[in-house]
Amino acid sequence: MRPGPAPLRRASLLAMAGAAALLVSCAAQGSGPGASPSPPSSAGSAPTAGADRDPAPPPAPAVVDPASVPVPVAVSVPALGLVEELVDLGIAADGTAEVPTDFDRVGWFTGGGRPGARGPTVLMGHVDSTAGPAVFYDLRELEPGNLVEVTSADGTAARYAVSDTQQVAKGEFPTAAVFGATATDVLRLITCIGEFDQGARSYTDNLVVTAERLP
Amino acid sequence: MTRMRPTVARTALTAALTGAAVLTGAGTASAETEVAEPTTFTSAFTAMATPDMVVNADGVATPGTAGASGTFTYRINSDLEIICYDISVRGITPPYESPAKTATHIHEAAPGQSGPPRIAFPNPEDDGSGTLVSNGCLEGPFTTGVAPEGTDTGEGFTLAEIEAGPSAFFTDTHTAASPAGAVRGQLTAIPVGGIETGAGATADDSSSAALPAVAGLGVLVAAGAVVLRRRATAGA
Repeated sequence: MRPGPAPLRRASLLAMAGAAALLVSCAAQGSGPGASPSPPSSAGSAPTAGADRDPAPPPAPAVVDPASVPVPVAVSVPALGLVEELVDLGIAADGTAEVPTDFDRVGWFTGGGRPGARGPTVLMGHVDSTAGPAVFYDLRELEPGNLVEVTSADGTAARYAVSDTQQVAKGEFPTAAVFGATATDVLRLITCIGEFDQGARSYTDNLVVTAERLP
Repeated sequence: MTRMRPTVARTALTAALTGAAVLTGAGTASAETEVAEPTTFTSAFTAMATPDMVVNADGVATPGTAGASGTFTYRINSDLEIICYDISVRGITPPYESPAKTATHIHEAAPGQSGPPRIAFPNPEDDGSGTLVSNGCLEGPFTTGVAPEGTDTGEGFTLAEIEAGPSAFFTDTHTAASPAGAVRGQLTAIPVGGIETGAGATADDSSSAALPAVAGLGVLVAAGAVVLRRRATAGA
């Protein structure tokens, strides 16, 4: 959690209380998402689809059109023991992001970037259901440097390293910073965090984890 | 923020001039105005703008500024006819150049085609780090200052048209070095607002009568804390 500007700091403070409440209400159910810790063993295999191999000075390598590369189909986060296939997510009628209907599934925003192309590739998952922890419950545990691997439909695996974790108020959601196009291959993982507004049945904040593509 | 002022002033001036024109019966369009950000949006769009996407007025590929790239993100409230812009460009060098009243636009045209500007935005300025940025919100009706056939190309345009078919629109910025466009990108839809990735996200609004039904002493305690927090927030 970065200190950030004042509003974020306030959000973080509120989040402490919210997180505590969450633990009380959610931890009772115990069992987290699937406990299969072994990711597809492609950690060492370098991706082949990258256009990021330009030794010349030009600061901006060619921007690759996401439509020109295969779609992502699975994600693994070894540090969290998480291995999941991806479901497709679009935009709801009210303009907001679709989220997985199944609390145990991770989805990707199909209108964004893709591994091997310009970013951002955006993955979304629930922090909890009404019964207990959901697939991205542990997302807050990620630390800079943690590995995230996304496998595409052609079997290639793109490796990313966590670079940043931000807590943002939903009421001031930074759409441009999270979903705005990026020239580089960037991955974002999003879930909920903060205070749970029982009246609105919604968390006040989002957790946005950013990971940069590894060569 | 201070960097924005000249642009805001210019927009205001343009609005004033246009208003004067209306008064004297010389024109009918009134220009957009800079407004505060609305609390809600109906849609959002982003474009990865690159030099290779630029075409000239005749639809001929005319590469823009080599090595440049830009992210143009727009949030729209089509009920209020407000568009908020969040533009960030690297690798281009002003001065800007365009026959329109600014050189940073949303145009209506498919990929590889040329088309008229529909909205003119304040040009990005160096934020001190070498990145050129432009942020703010405009409320329509819009004018561009370009009227090839006597009618401003922004006249009659509404933001709902972008929502109806974003791929029919592109965004760009023009410089003296690359008058056809330094970078250009087609709009694509992205979600707007926070992500509902927690329990109860799909439930209907409120009715705190549901609270006791959630049961569990811990939950009630937690709910109490939430109420306190909300009160504190409301009082702030």
